[in-house]
Formats: sequence, C-alpha cells, structure tokens
Amino acid sequence: MITLRRVQKAFQTGSSRQDILHSVDLRIDPGEYVAIMGKSGSGKSTLLNILGALDSADSGEYILAGKPVHKMRQSKRTALRNTEIGFVFQQFQLIPNLSVYQNVLLPLTYGRKKLGRKKARVLQLLEEVGLADKKKQKPSRLSGGEKQRAAIARALVNEPSILLADEPTGSLDEATTETILQLFDRVHQQGTTIVVITHDQEVADRAQRVIHLKDGALA
Amino acid sequence: MRLGNALKLACFGLWANKFRVLSAMMGIVIGLFAVIVLIAIAVGVKDTLLKQMGSLGAEQILVMPGRVLDSANGQKDFLSGITSVPSTLTYEDAKAVEAVPNVKSVIPQLETVSKAVYEEQNVQAVLVGSTHQYSRVQHADLAEGRFFTEEEQQSKKNVIVLGSNIHDALLGKAAEPQSGSTGIPAPQEKTWWQRALDSLMAGTVVSAEEKTLVGQKLTIGEKEYTVIGVLKPNATLGSSTDNNVIMPIETALANTDMKYLNKMIVEANSTEVIDEVDGAVFSAIKQNHKEIDFSVVKQDQMLGAIDNVTVILQVMLLGITAVALFISGTGIMNVMVMSVRERTREIGIRKAIGATTFEIMAQFFFETLLLCVIGGLFGTGLGYAFIELWNQYIEAFTLTLPLWAIQLALGSTVVIGGLFGIYPALKAARMKPSHALRFE
Repeated sequence: MITLRRVQKAFQTGSSRQDILHSVDLRIDPGEYVAIMGKSGSGKSTLLNILGALDSADSGEYILAGKPVHKMRQSKRTALRNTEIGFVFQQFQLIPNLSVYQNVLLPLTYGRKKLGRKKARVLQLLEEVGLADKKKQKPSRLSGGEKQRAAIARALVNEPSILLADEPTGSLDEATTETILQLFDRVHQQGTTIVVITHDQEVADRAQRVIHLKDGALA
Repeated sequence: MRLGNALKLACFGLWANKFRVLSAMMGIVIGLFAVIVLIAIAVGVKDTLLKQMGSLGAEQILVMPGRVLDSANGQKDFLSGITSVPSTLTYEDAKAVEAVPNVKSVIPQLETVSKAVYEEQNVQAVLVGSTHQYSRVQHADLAEGRFFTEEEQQSKKNVIVLGSNIHDALLGKAAEPQSGSTGIPAPQEKTWWQRALDSLMAGTVVSAEEKTLVGQKLTIGEKEYTVIGVLKPNATLGSSTDNNVIMPIETALANTDMKYLNKMIVEANSTEVIDEVDGAVFSAIKQNHKEIDFSVVKQDQMLGAIDNVTVILQVMLLGITAVALFISGTGIMNVMVMSVRERTREIGIRKAIGATTFEIMAQFFFETLLLCVIGGLFGTGLGYAFIELWNQYIEAFTLTLPLWAIQLALGSTVVIGGLFGIYPALKAARMKPSHALRFE
C-alpha cells in the first residue's frame, strides 16, 4: 500500500540547513493500523506531510497503491489527496465559518469521485460519528471531542483508502480520547489503512504496529 | 473544474464572511454612487444647456446683436468670441427679413426693465415687446387667460401677458423676487408647499381659490395695460419667462423708449432651405447696416458651442470617475489580501482535502468579482434613488441618468473586480498546504 524508499527531507533556514528525515525506508500494508511515535522534532509531522502528499521529499521514492507519488505533478497530488487520503489533525482544522455539515461536505465539493448522493453520504457519516443533531452548528459551538468527530467524518466522506492522523487526541481528555479511538477501531475494521502520529502510548497501543522515529530516522 | 463550483464556493465564502464583506463593499458602493450621481449631474447640466440654448429649432435662425467670432476650428465661439456692442437691430430689419424668400415668420424681441404696479404692489419686471408668435417660439405655455392676437398687435392694444413670478409678486402671494445685479427678479418659482409654508409663517391661510390678475389693469410707466393672460412657470436659465411682462411689439415701440431689438428669431419654411435662408437673412440685414454688428446663428452652430462646453465637463467627469474607481479597487484589493492572510489556514485545509490551485484561485477571484459587482449594484441603486429623490424634491435642475451610465458603472465594477481580484487570488493559490496548515 505505502512504500517509502530512502526518503530524505531537509529545511533551509537562512544559511543553515536542517536535516529532518534521513533515508527513511517504510512499508505499510493495505488495511494496516500503524502508530508512529517519537519526540518533538524527530520528523513525525514531516513524515506525515510526505505520506499525505502535502509536501514532497527532497530525494527517495514514495509509492502509494502502486503509484509513484514522488514523480507526480502538483495537480495529481491534489487529486490523490482528495480520493485516497483522509486527514485528521490535532487542532481539528475545521473551517470556522462553515457548519458541521458544510465542513464534512467540503471534500465532496472538490471531489473527483462521482458519489451520486453526496448529501446522504454526509448525513450517514454524521449519524455514525454521533453528530447528526449538530449538523447545522458552527465548529465554535462544539466541544473538542465533537470537533474531532466532525473532522473524522470529513476525512472519511470520500471513502479514502488511508487515514492519516496527526496527534488526533492531543487536545482531548481521557474519555473523549477513548471515543475517538473506538471510532478509529471501527474505521480500521472496515478496511481503511490508518497511520497515527502520537506521543500517547495508550493511542499507540491500539495500533497493530508501532514505528519509532528518532532524529529523522526509523529506530 | 467547474467554474460554477468555484462561483458557488465564492458565494459561500462571501456569505460566511459577511461583515468583512460589508465593510469591504463600502468603498465600491460609495465609488459607484459618486460615479452615477456625477454622470447624472453632467448629463443633467448638458441637457439643461441644450434645452435652454438649443431651444432653437432646426428650422430656426437666431439673429443677435454683436458679432460672434469664429474659433480656431472654424466654429462660432460662443464662449469668448462674442463682441459686446449695443444693439443696432431694429424692427425695420425684422420687416426686411420677412420679405426674404422661404422665411415663414420673424419674431423680433425688444427688452427693457420697468416697474409694474398693481394697487399697493409694485415689482421690477423684464418688459418684452414681441409678436403674437412669442409664446409658441419661446415655449411659454399659458396658465390662464390667453395670448394677444395679431390684430391686437397691429392695432397697438395696451394688453399684456404676465410671467408667473410677476403675477404672484403683484398679488402678494410670494415675496417680491430678489433683485439680481441687473435689478431683474431671479427666475425662481416657489412650490405649493413653500408657498403654504410662507403663508403659515405669515399667519395667513392659503385659499383654495387663488386670486388672478387676468382682466385687471396694471400700470407700467405712465400707461395702463390690461392683463389678458398669465404664463406657466418656465424656470430655465437665461431664457426664463417667469419675470417677464410681454406686450405687442407695436405697443412697446409706441409706449416706451425701446428702439433696438435684443434678438430676432427667423423661421424658415423647412430645414432644407435653412442654409439658403441663413445667407439671405444676413444679406437683408446687412443692407440696413454700415458695418456687420450683428450675428446670424443656426441651431447646429449653437449646439456645436454647447458640445464644446460639455466636452470639458465630460473630461473632468472621466478623471473623477477613474480616480474614484481606482481608489475603490485598491481598497477592495487590500481587504481581499487581508482576507487571504486571515484565511491562510482555511486555504491550507481546502488544499489538503483536494482543492486545486486553480480552484482556490477561482474562488478568491470570484469573491473579489462578486464583491465588486454586488457593491456596484448597491452603489448604482443608491445613486438612482438619490437622483429620483433629487428630481422629486429639488427643482434647481433635473439630474439625468442615461442607460449608458448604468452600463458603464456595472461594467466598470466587473473590470475593477477582475483587475484587482487577480493579485489576492494568486496569493491564495500559491500557498503551500503544509505551510498554510501551520499558520498561526
């Protein structure tokens, strides 16, 4: 499903160059649930950005579902993000001026998939994450857990094959964390590949495999 | 994609940020309002000038004292080319012109200022001596009574027709018209509510049945005249009849010391013979004069002069319009650039979930465009409403809003939106999603 070969990434700050990822090799199978752990600055988020085609590696290969992402042009990467990848962020990243319903609908608006009944799909997902009664609310009226559930619904609305989550429970209390993790379990059971970046061992323990990243390299 | 989708998203974007949109729109609303009103003023002024100066028909020729010199472009220069000389045109000149072939009629006019007295009231009036055709040529309609006939003119009857201001002043309905520098009452008419207000202030009651001077006798100079008619208000600049007292020209020549004509209007049989008549009229008058101290002017020459004046107005208007629209456009662009910055995360989210560079660019471009068009519609609507209110309540002159002004205003909003929407749209589209998502 996902193959990274000798992936390198560095950032230039003024005259100094900072290496973030050093020759990362990684393989994630279809339907696998993987947690990536590491200290702050270890390169977790950079790795997730590359996996999510939000950023590109300086060198190395990235193959997703048999497609060479590292060779793709920007427009192809955009289409890939829309059709194959769902994102869940620590800060939820909902658009504040749109309602819960409109936020979840957004990927379908840009979608290339011909989902006949877009409205029904959004309502079904909101039902599944327990937000059907809050579909007209703005994100500012929701609790942290509700916001994250709305973000998960948005990530799943296009039926992606991979769900990438960056510290999805980082801003949530224990009880809410459990709700979100149960939701992830359900999504995983439906066959979706999940890659979670986390500091939290409890979150990592729910994954089938835990990968440790240290100073930009897999430990 | 799917420009329709981008347009839909732009509508959502505007609706979601409606308070920012409203403040951004103010610039374009005020700009377009100014443009619409300025155009209406310019066109209104032009129309008023055309109506007043160009009241001369296409088959009419104006003979006036003094000589109108030609300008550099060969046209009559009515701005600075009029030589100021006392009139030497006489009624005999008018008679000579009547004999010119293809001349249908000649309407000479004598003018002086004199005091008209009725009972205890007296008022300075413009005393006009002319023919029975004066009211037709001068577009002076009667409010009551009648105009004098050709027979009354020939038999030098002491009959007069009053302008509306003179009639009202002599009846004490309104204060005596303010004397200008020439001592001539200002051509100003009071509306019914202004008169009612004056009466209330004076502690009197406005009678439903207003008194009239038709049939009454007035004294002008040493002579007594019978009022046979009153003209409707005709408050046009320069050629108002509101402060006139009109009498037959034969009566005026017999009873007053008026000798020389202020002007003479000559009507040709048709527009086809106008050039021929123009030359013949000039020759006929020239025979009675030692030198050329008069001018013969056709309608097209008069209109040409008005066009010269209004070109200055139009150039000025164009400049003001361009500045107003440029300032509005810059304001909109600044607000949109701010908006793009404030919505950096939103742009990052949209890109992360599949919005292409083109889609983001199209969304922000359409947002600016819609902002300008909606603002333009509001500004145009406000301008239109202002013009309607002005024309309803202000009688100084009429504002005219031509259709092309609305087309120009709305067209310019599209151009402004298009031009000033490009930069914010490009700025939004060029953002890297991974950077935009981290934006604080």
